[in-house]
Amino acid sequence: MPARIAVAICALLWLAAPAAAQTAAPPDMSGFWINQYTPDLSVVLGKQPPFTEFGAERWRTVDTAKDPTAICLPVGPSRGFTAPFPFILVQHDKMISIMFEYQAIWRAIYLDGRGHPDDLADYPYFMGHSIGKWEGDTLVVDTQGIDERSWLDTAGHEHSAKLRLTERFKKTGPDTIQWTVTYDDPIYFTRPWSIERTFTRGKPGDRVLPYTCNENNKDVEHLMPFQPNLNYKHVPETKKPGGD
Amino acid sequence: MKRGLAALLATIALLASGVSIAAHHSFAAQYDSKKPITLKGGIARIEWANPHIYFYLDVADANGATVHWAIEGGAPSTLYRAGWRKDSAKVGDVVTVNGFLARDGSKLVNMQRALLADGRNLFVGNSSYYQKGH
Repeated sequence: MPARIAVAICALLWLAAPAAAQTAAPPDMSGFWINQYTPDLSVVLGKQPPFTEFGAERWRTVDTAKDPTAICLPVGPSRGFTAPFPFILVQHDKMISIMFEYQAIWRAIYLDGRGHPDDLADYPYFMGHSIGKWEGDTLVVDTQGIDERSWLDTAGHEHSAKLRLTERFKKTGPDTIQWTVTYDDPIYFTRPWSIERTFTRGKPGDRVLPYTCNENNKDVEHLMPFQPNLNYKHVPETKKPGGD
Repeated sequence: MKRGLAALLATIALLASGVSIAAHHSFAAQYDSKKPITLKGGIARIEWANPHIYFYLDVADANGATVHWAIEGGAPSTLYRAGWRKDSAKVGDVVTVNGFLARDGSKLVNMQRALLADGRNLFVGNSSYYQKGH
């Protein structure tokens, strides 16, 4: 299983990377946070992501009636932080828990130095498997094993089982967290690409409200095939001398 | 009223641009932004439930027959934070709904505005709670 060994080595190298002599206690990011609603990541990016030929064809032909969340499948880590619903972050030394209102779903970010499980590819999860570490005052999270049925956004950007997310959480004030996420998926994209969003602290007393997706999901009976990107023309990025 | 109309036009422009309004799935997979509709009728039932609320209107057609329409609104949590409650309107209240028709031809409308007789815009979400995504 060379692929598994490679994944294990990558995870170990990642964990061994300069753990930036953690002297001061990390900033407390616990609390109730409000997302920046981002239904289409390419709008933030200012262009379409750097698609491979395969990724471009998937984008051109995507049918938004097949959105996994329309049938109440879990949102995936990307949409959890970009949907118009808040979340609660609970911070401990060895773990950070994220409780999303959207679909009442969770993410566990393990900070105890573990790597990814070696059978992760066989047992993916929609929200992925996340390990994190502090680099100074920034929480850096590596997420793999994300079920390829999840989408990256409502617009219909998809990903493969090889998607690797790197997220950086940095407090930019008492009530704001800057979230930078890098999407690395060699099946869909020719190179990693990133966007940045801001989480804003809720008001005192704010609470997470119910989102029981299956309760009354009548929409699903009315969805009709819709392919908004059939005129999309893929223009591969030209490599500049020296790269970018 | 001018402001209301401007907001409606802005919403229509947003929808026409193809941007989804729900996180749950794309608007255009279910509704036709080129088919606006206005309905006036009495509320027959309200379903304050996830992922989106529905309410039902009894609307008189041209022949005087009563036609039952389903109206879809926002997520209960979003509406709650905008100040709405499940009893903000009651069965029998008359409401004028502006919205868009379902693409599958069913008597289903995605509401953009629902004006009660007392002037309140029923179940209109407060989008300012979430920062603009772009």
